[in-house]
Amino acid sequence: MTTLVRPPEKAASKKEQRRRGVTERQRPLWLLTPGGVLMILVVLIPLAVALWISLIDLDQYSLRRWVEAPFIGLDNFVESFSSGLLNSIWISVSFAVLSTIATIPIGIAAALVTQNKYKGRALVRAVFLIPYVLPSFVVATVWRTMLQPDGVVNAWLSKVGIEGGLWLTGPRSYWALILVEIWAAWPFIYLMALAALQSVDNEVHEASAVDGAPWWPKLRRVILPYLRGPVLLACLLATLNHINNFTLPFVLFGAPAPEDVNVMPMLVYVTSFQSLRFGLSAAMAVLSLVLIAIPLFVYLRAVRLDVHDEGGRR
Amino acid sequence: MSAPASAEATRLLPRWLLVTVTTVLVVMVLIPVLYIVLASLNSDVGVASGEYWPSSFSLDSYTRIWTTADLSTGIVNSLIVCAFTAVASALLGTTTAYVLVRYSFLGRLTILRGLVGLQSIPGTLMLLPVFVLFSSAGNYLGLTVIGTRWGLFVAYLTFALPFSTWVMVTYLRGLPRELEEAARTEGANTVIILWKIIFPLSLPAIVVSGIFAFLLGWNDVLFASVLTRPETHTAAVALQIFGSQQEGGALPVYSQMMAAALICAAPVVLLYLAFQRYLVGGLTAGGVK
Repeated sequence: MTTLVRPPEKAASKKEQRRRGVTERQRPLWLLTPGGVLMILVVLIPLAVALWISLIDLDQYSLRRWVEAPFIGLDNFVESFSSGLLNSIWISVSFAVLSTIATIPIGIAAALVTQNKYKGRALVRAVFLIPYVLPSFVVATVWRTMLQPDGVVNAWLSKVGIEGGLWLTGPRSYWALILVEIWAAWPFIYLMALAALQSVDNEVHEASAVDGAPWWPKLRRVILPYLRGPVLLACLLATLNHINNFTLPFVLFGAPAPEDVNVMPMLVYVTSFQSLRFGLSAAMAVLSLVLIAIPLFVYLRAVRLDVHDEGGRR
Repeated sequence: MSAPASAEATRLLPRWLLVTVTTVLVVMVLIPVLYIVLASLNSDVGVASGEYWPSSFSLDSYTRIWTTADLSTGIVNSLIVCAFTAVASALLGTTTAYVLVRYSFLGRLTILRGLVGLQSIPGTLMLLPVFVLFSSAGNYLGLTVIGTRWGLFVAYLTFALPFSTWVMVTYLRGLPRELEEAARTEGANTVIILWKIIFPLSLPAIVVSGIFAFLLGWNDVLFASVLTRPETHTAAVALQIFGSQQEGGALPVYSQMMAAALICAAPVVLLYLAFQRYLVGGLTAGGVK
């Protein structure tokens, strides 16, 4: 994260002038060509085509001759609102926000307990990384097995006298999705919080130790303020990742997903590759981009704002 | 790293709380993780009836899974496609990142912002046009793309290339430019500098960005589920299809499924174990899984 929040302009502002003098005239911009051309081919052109598809009536019949498919303006966008788009947006946003909120305390707590050296800390840190390292599709497969009606979760619940029930269909599937996402995603907050904790100067610790402050006021007033900026950034990124998470609901519930977990990526996927309404699903995908754009905009701004704080923070 | 006195000073939590929190977190992580291992050593019947601790241990699932599911084809396909993705995006990413970091030109900031922004674009939005372009390629260009490994490779570049480029940008920023300038005064041109100085100096970062590109591909289900057919299925899709076939009908072979899940996770876990220090740094730099 520290590397991310430091823009090149500022870090090298003194050298900038010298550099201009030396190499301005011999900038090897042609070196951008291979990467740039490929980027245009595989990223920009598809994005433009996606925009175009959202404006045409494209289905399985016109798919192979999409250039000739009829232009229908904004009809796809209008239709997406009557095809469950708003419901999916609501599920996606609430799922993403709840998951993020739940992972913050877990991540910070994990960072706090691994900050100090002790015997076996390396092992604990490695364990904390496991949920993050495991591929999403593996995590989802495992939880899908555990949450089966006759699976181990219900077997345990009935031992303590709780009726298990269905986790992968019906209203509970929403909470199952959130629980698994929390399990898989908290190490991201942990890593960001740990990086921030390690940048706290020793003097700060020593000064507050001399004060003899008990642990909680010290933590709240002295240490946690250092974590605020980085953790907020991590939250934005985590929320974006939750909103875009396709693998987890897809492998956990299958497609089409149960009504209660029909998140945006699932809706777009089913509309295009099962209902074969490519134009309609492109419109939905473009609209979901608007959803992403808000936190992303804040994120891009926040990344730059954090730079100004860096010099004069506390 | 510091004197014992200051180690005491940096202690943030009282001992009892530290022990409690650590225990709770470790247990929370390990219950499902141990479940994969235990279930894969159990019998299919045992797992289906909700056992956590197997009533009998055997390695049967690991031998039978290869015939039950088409896992070996999936793993080979994944390895081939992801390896190509990794090499291509790491090398092209390094070259592009070098120019982006060292030279200023019109549109440079836009490109940098775009690299960050692209990592948050929903995969479905990229997959849709790629699928349409690929399926019409047969018609317009006389090419079969869908269902081929190289088609999947091109599709993976859509997210691996921006990501690798960004990882290299964050690394190259911190690289001192003195060596390059010295070489330049000796008369070396940019290609020589890139080849003889930048590539060797940033080799660890290049490897990391390549590994990330590899993992992005290995972990993908979305693109592979649409762009492959049975012969070109990746490991992830093979496991997903295998999993979705288990419910309903005959006895579900959950134990074999857990063995398959563990086999699919193994390369990823091994990569992390081998490159842990570099990869964790890269995670926080890139900010994306």
